[in-house]
Amino acid sequence: MRLAKKAGWVLLAIIIVIQFIRPARNTGGRVLETDITHTVSVSPEVLSVLQTACYDCHSNHTRYPWYANIQPIAWLLNAHVRDGKKELNFSEFGSYSERRQRSKMVTLAEQVEEGAMPLPLYRLLHSKARLTEKEKALIIEWATKMPDTVSTKKNGNE
Amino acid sequence: MKNMILGLAVLAMAACNTTTTVKENSDTTTVKTETATTTVQGSSSKDVVAHYLHVKNALAKDDAADAANGGNALMQAFTSYDQTALTEEQKKTFVDISAAAKEHAEHIAKNAGKIEHQREHFAMLSKDMYDFVKAMGAGQTLYQDHCPMYNNNKGANWLSETKEISNPYLGKKMPDCGTVKETLQ
Repeated sequence: MRLAKKAGWVLLAIIIVIQFIRPARNTGGRVLETDITHTVSVSPEVLSVLQTACYDCHSNHTRYPWYANIQPIAWLLNAHVRDGKKELNFSEFGSYSERRQRSKMVTLAEQVEEGAMPLPLYRLLHSKARLTEKEKALIIEWATKMPDTVSTKKNGNE
Repeated sequence: MKNMILGLAVLAMAACNTTTTVKENSDTTTVKTETATTTVQGSSSKDVVAHYLHVKNALAKDDAADAANGGNALMQAFTSYDQTALTEEQKKTFVDISAAAKEHAEHIAKNAGKIEHQREHFAMLSKDMYDFVKAMGAGQTLYQDHCPMYNNNKGANWLSETKEISNPYLGKKMPDCGTVKETLQ
């Protein structure tokens, strides 16, 4: 009985202590030169979908929900953002080679079409990330057309 | 009690460790140009092609697990590729191709449970491999094949070591669907 009480206190202490271990936030202030909007043409409608449904994990501009202040949730979120940016970062899209830009867009269209992206858990927590059929079609059309525009617009880092 | 405090400290440190890696930037800055530092000898174009064909043949048999093995080996072959004999022009091409191809190989390696996802990356990988063979040579005769039906009739290409068609996109459903488009000597 006393042991259980002790364990409870320890658990509480752990929970309190971990609140102070806060990962760095993914909120780059300015729009980089390598931003996708500087690399290919992005209509306002497409950009708006990208920002609401993709940018939290695929750009340098995460909008953090209130629960991102609680550990270990923030750690989990952070891992998602890190992995997401590793796969595709719209803020640094211009630094990819043309070859990679093209393949990223092909994958993007496929992932959206299959409903693999945005992630199911993300869709659950963010009602606006549940793309309508129209929004999906818009993004897929944009991403499918884009490989052509990639070659015509100048590449950021070459 | 001492043990508990110690435990807490360890936990805190472990947590710190996980958070320090977090600020790492995207992989674009770390495009690999170095050769392998291990004792293993650098891989050749022949190795790269062999591992690609491994993936191709596994997909043709609908064997996602084996395709993942091939993807892993292909990734490593690109990483340890010996660039010493390449011209400047070839080196540039290699860096460009390998950065993209390695990503596809990695996805194939990590998606042993999702063969359709592997095939999506294989379609893009095959484009990269075509350019790779054109630039570096394959050390063997290869055929570029075309499957018109894949991906809702959008079609896709692949490279094969045999003239007979063995379709990696449709697998056992339609093993001999496709045509030879080009012979790469």
